[in-house]
Amino acid sequence: MPLTKTSQKFNASINAFTIGTGDKAVTMGGENVLPFYTFDAPIENAPKIGAEISDLGMDKNVPGIRDYYAGAEDFTELARRASAIPGVDFIAFALDAADPNGEDRSVEECVEECKQVAEGTDLPIVIIGSKGIEKNETLFDKVADALSGKNVLLMSAREENYKTIAASAGLAYSQKIGAESAVDINLAKQLNVIISQMGVKPQSIAMNVGAASAGYGFEYVVSTMERVKMAALQQNDNMLQMPIVTPVADEVWNVKEAVVSEEDIPEWGPQEERGIQMEVVTASACLASGSNAVILRHPASIAAVSKMIRELI
Amino acid sequence: MALKGLDIFKLTPKTNCKQCGVPTCMAFSMKVAQGSLPLEKCPFITDDVKDQLSEATAPPMKTLKLGEHTLGGETVLERHEKTFVSKTLYAMKVSTANDDAANDALLEKVPKVDYDRIGERMYCEFVFVEGTEGENARFLDLVKKAAALDRDLILATSDADLAKEALAAASGKNVILAGANASNYEAMSGAATAANALLGVSGESLEELHDTVAALEKLGNKNLVLVTTGKNAKEAFRNTVEVRRGAIKGSDRTFGYPSLVDVAALSGGDPHMEAAYASLFTAKYGSIVVLTEMDYAKALPLYGLRQNIFTDPQKPMKVDPGIYPLNGADENSICMVTVDFALTYFIVSGEIERSGIPVNLLISDAGGYSVLTAWAAGKFSASSIAKFIEEYQVEEKIKNRVLVLPGKVAVLKGEVQEKLPNWKVVVGTNEAVEIIRFLKDFQY
Amino acid sequence: MVGLFDRAFKGSDEMYALAEKALAEALATHDESTPAVFPNTAYYAACIYEYTGIKVMTLGDLKSAMEPIRAMMTRNYRTHDVFTSGIATAMAAEVIELCKYLDTDTPYNGEYHGHMNDAEVRELGVPLVTRDIPGFVVIIGPAPSEEEAEALIKGYQSRGIFVFLIGGIIDQAKNRKLSMGFPVRIVPVGPDIWCASHIISLVMRAAMIFGAIGPNQYDEMNKYTFERIFAFVNAFDPVDDLTIACGACAIALGFPVITNDTKDMWRVPKTLIIQEDTKDWIETSLEARDIKIKVTNIDIPVSYSSAFEGEIIRRPDMQVEIDGSRKDCFELCITKEAHEVEDHKIEVIGPDFDEIPVGSKMCAAIIAEVAGKSMQSDFESVFERKFHTFVNCMEGIMHTGQRDLIRIRVSKNAYEAGFRIRHIGEVLYAKLKNEYAAVIDKCQVKIYTSTDELHDLRKMANEIYDKRDERLAGLTDENVDQFYTCILCQSFSPSHVCIVTPERLGLCGAVSWLDAKATNELDANGPSQVVTKERVIDENVGSWEDVNEAVAKYSRGALERVTLYSIMEDPMTSCGCFECICGIEPFSNGVIIVNREHTGMTPLGMTFSEMASMTGGGVQTPGFMGHGKHFIASKKFMKAEGGVARIVWMPKALKETVRDRLNATAMELYGIENFCDMIGDEESCGNGDPEELVNFLSETGHPALAMDPMM
Repeated sequence: MPLTKTSQKFNASINAFTIGTGDKAVTMGGENVLPFYTFDAPIENAPKIGAEISDLGMDKNVPGIRDYYAGAEDFTELARRASAIPGVDFIAFALDAADPNGEDRSVEECVEECKQVAEGTDLPIVIIGSKGIEKNETLFDKVADALSGKNVLLMSAREENYKTIAASAGLAYSQKIGAESAVDINLAKQLNVIISQMGVKPQSIAMNVGAASAGYGFEYVVSTMERVKMAALQQNDNMLQMPIVTPVADEVWNVKEAVVSEEDIPEWGPQEERGIQMEVVTASACLASGSNAVILRHPASIAAVSKMIRELI
Repeated sequence: MALKGLDIFKLTPKTNCKQCGVPTCMAFSMKVAQGSLPLEKCPFITDDVKDQLSEATAPPMKTLKLGEHTLGGETVLERHEKTFVSKTLYAMKVSTANDDAANDALLEKVPKVDYDRIGERMYCEFVFVEGTEGENARFLDLVKKAAALDRDLILATSDADLAKEALAAASGKNVILAGANASNYEAMSGAATAANALLGVSGESLEELHDTVAALEKLGNKNLVLVTTGKNAKEAFRNTVEVRRGAIKGSDRTFGYPSLVDVAALSGGDPHMEAAYASLFTAKYGSIVVLTEMDYAKALPLYGLRQNIFTDPQKPMKVDPGIYPLNGADENSICMVTVDFALTYFIVSGEIERSGIPVNLLISDAGGYSVLTAWAAGKFSASSIAKFIEEYQVEEKIKNRVLVLPGKVAVLKGEVQEKLPNWKVVVGTNEAVEIIRFLKDFQY
Repeated sequence: MVGLFDRAFKGSDEMYALAEKALAEALATHDESTPAVFPNTAYYAACIYEYTGIKVMTLGDLKSAMEPIRAMMTRNYRTHDVFTSGIATAMAAEVIELCKYLDTDTPYNGEYHGHMNDAEVRELGVPLVTRDIPGFVVIIGPAPSEEEAEALIKGYQSRGIFVFLIGGIIDQAKNRKLSMGFPVRIVPVGPDIWCASHIISLVMRAAMIFGAIGPNQYDEMNKYTFERIFAFVNAFDPVDDLTIACGACAIALGFPVITNDTKDMWRVPKTLIIQEDTKDWIETSLEARDIKIKVTNIDIPVSYSSAFEGEIIRRPDMQVEIDGSRKDCFELCITKEAHEVEDHKIEVIGPDFDEIPVGSKMCAAIIAEVAGKSMQSDFESVFERKFHTFVNCMEGIMHTGQRDLIRIRVSKNAYEAGFRIRHIGEVLYAKLKNEYAAVIDKCQVKIYTSTDELHDLRKMANEIYDKRDERLAGLTDENVDQFYTCILCQSFSPSHVCIVTPERLGLCGAVSWLDAKATNELDANGPSQVVTKERVIDENVGSWEDVNEAVAKYSRGALERVTLYSIMEDPMTSCGCFECICGIEPFSNGVIIVNREHTGMTPLGMTFSEMASMTGGGVQTPGFMGHGKHFIASKKFMKAEGGVARIVWMPKALKETVRDRLNATAMELYGIENFCDMIGDEESCGNGDPEELVNFLSETGHPALAMDPMM
């Protein structure tokens, strides 16, 4: 029996989704095949990589990160450095300091930081909200206003706070919305439905269907993404055709494997290398399962993952 | 779709003779349908019936055993459809292209990574020994050195005569002979079969690979591993996906074999690229993945990933019940109790560790369910918590009498307090992310 | 009605004439190239822009708008003419107002607000879209007294409604020293009725910004404002023709007008409402515009959190106890007509805790009366079951039981903190209104605590409980029009879909048909979706095309067919949370049922967990099926294979749980008495093998042995 190939080219496709403006605008999604299945049909928009910078400053315990950003005095310079990392498609600015249970930095200061970031880069900007779900409402309202016209993506509109974010960032300021749900296809879909019902166009929504570090319940991430892609492509479910953006960095740089020092567990070897590999492995598995973009922190991880994307597309 | 249990039952003698080791014919049939017992266990099933059934019950992908390892046997393309059954295995590569010192150093590193993660031994299962042209003697040497390690071997040479010698040098080991191709398959197959080794087959193209496999099957060799590496990463990914998909979705039994991807060859010595590709092929259909080196930096994320992906969705991962002292907790530290669902354990223990505050984490036996599911199923209740405290002699081991419950089961507080009158029962947080703050604000 | 039309037309003509005059005056002192724009807006004169498409930037542009405005003032005496004339009136009013902004950005010098800039539109628009501000009111004219003006404004303010003031009421508010401005959500727009154009402009811009409505989209605009902008008008007597014409614009946009003017006024249901008693305006208005107010804080002196749900109050710590086992007590949720319910009324009839000796028992009836357009009496019991959690989450209060077997303990600490019996009412009110906002519009709570009344009340309550039970018992798959899906478990069992019917509750035992129905009503996108049952394939095995389509859709194609009443042919799948599993036992020609709690062996040679591993995960396994305990006595249990007569073995404990109901079903279906005694268990069939079971069944004369072969 000669070889007969099975193809999985679908009639439906993932929404093409653009952030940023002008030459440096970035488009993700648009494909009608599973991740990296270029042999079934061409994938026009390769998966994208965002470099994460935090308003708490960069990790001082990781030499590669510390040295790369050394001397960057303000957020403009941080953004400039991040933009210069080879392979970076967009800047992901995490407003960690806004967390009411942490530094509780004021909304006004955060808006100012965002403006500084915008000055430092012409790449598209993704804003990652704080852990304060309620605070993100006002935060995103003001940030969306301040970055108006820049077509930014505001991550982490969740079931609890999507209304204000959709109305403000999505409608009043025409920014893009990232719908965040916790590794469950039905929750992901429901959130897309209710955000759309607010009047936000499905084409203006990206999804974060949940993230985890490899080894930490990552099977839920894989299965949720795979099911979302099958529903979007095979069943043409237009409430799941939004591209998936996965913030990997915040997950991996918090797990034991990436945090424990070499003194504590000498046989594990240098901490930095463990963190990089955790980031690389997790990001690669996310991309293989369905992420259209991943957000990473270490320049070395970004180099490896962007090279893998180039090789595969 | 495999046969339903009832269809198999109709073919059994229906005597409940128990010779198969199962109490009833019905139970036996259900287990065969599930794939947990072979049909042959029933002495009364005739050959006719066996043939009839084996065609219907034959999986789309062969299950190959090599020593204690199982390769292949997958029935689905995505784990949520049922489950993946044979986890990706890893190999470290030594080669005659390296100098001897480099190979020695690598071989020395092989046993270094060997640890337990949630009841699973994590180590590099294979040593991949590559022979380059004109290095026959060094290759045999290297095979001997590798054979001295307590690992299974993959021997990569396409020279059938050399292969025979190498197999002899590795006698007694579990071996995959990787090197068959369109031009040498007959001789290679003979060598492998004689040595009871699995045979790795490659092809210039998918078509050629398919033809070679078909030819090998004609020779009667069905103990095959398909080498899908190809010339670059893109081709490797394509080959690996097409082989698996052809077998499972396209019912092409010729591709129904495990795959082997040499990511060391794709990465040009860059450890980060190697990790990226190893991750890709662990997620997507690599049965064996070959790396230059498996150090902890690669092993920790890769084995974690593999353990997750190859978890049966129906059977949650469990950790052992017990008292886990964190951050140097002692008998004066407070206790926090939760369930034995591995994910819960990892997240909760991770947050506690980040708080830096000593806590005795009590993991009670809750059937591997999450807090709410276990509570709903009655597996995490006031009595189960009280029973745990008693069975594990917590009161003898720990003097502190503060017990923190997960916020999601606040409803248990009264009952737990009732059963454990000496304790101060406190309701903790709903979400793990709030634990750090909870511990920092907690008044002792 | 012609009279009302004539007044609107007349007012519209008047406004147009005033606009012409204002424009003429402006042109007398300015030339046509003079800029004519409101400050800080990108939407020109928004009313004129929306309805004519003209981007007014100069006086000349404004002049050119007059003709298109006139053209909308048609006079064919159809409702449509009144609407377009109303909109033309707003545009004419906008002309008048714009002329004031020719030489200054602040024609009102801070005394009135006048034009609202785009930032203010966004600031108000976001909470309006999210419904954090439930709506806004435009109050026109002086109230009969300053006190009434203040009461009305504060009434709205306390409910979170944004207030715009026009005309004499502004001075009244000032005299009462009300603080006003955007931050306090009371805005004095302007002294004259044409200032209403600023509010219409705000509405236009909100629709353009938040609804992506473009210029010249008459129908889309009016649809958007009707569906998404929750505004209404309160106009005090006297209402002149100009105001009526502006009211016509409001009504065209879907905003009802409420007035106390009765002269030459016509009632139009839900649209133009005459309510002479201005004290009722707030409630009338909110109802007319369908606005529900969220209860944000619960007015109780103790903390409220799920962390207190498991709190136990011991006798020595107890101030007082409401005890249904000793005294006449009950709790009840019942539906009333809207006019019978006064929202947020908490009534205590009888003595409070203060009058009860410390540590003693008291009687109490807690009745929540709810009303709502989508409320159905079937939901009463669903809501009533939640009382337990609602009350239990209060610190220092413990609640157990339901119906007339409740027990509520109040701790001494809670009592000392000021906790009294009406606070139970406050909590029920707040939680019912918030959690069930989709169906409950109004809610009041009555708490009776005097012994004399309670005996009769309890009898009344029991009659209601009985009726509900009857209704439940009478609910069959045949006499309902639809079933429901439940996909709550898909997070761990992705391809499983439960079909919940009256006679077959969810296999976890926790979701009844009524629960699923309520879930669907409350959350249209939630886990329970309607499954019609119009296209029957085979009623005996319980297969419908509609059901198959639903299963295929919600399992995302993993499953294409299920039957509801057969375990042999496409049986329903399981997620893994089933209470019981039944499995075919071929030697006795029946099925055995084993429940989760039973850890021992079954005559099938498999334990519960072995059977569970084959049945879960959304996979169809003919001959095996997961289900709830309640389903065992259902007439639909294995109906296709002959019904409950197929049950040959159950663990003893399970048998006892279902005995009465199962015996009744067997009696009804087959005329068999004490059917349960014919069923084997781990005691009557001690060594648990099939032959022993068959022998036992022959002895008891079990009907399964004589039935058609199952396979």
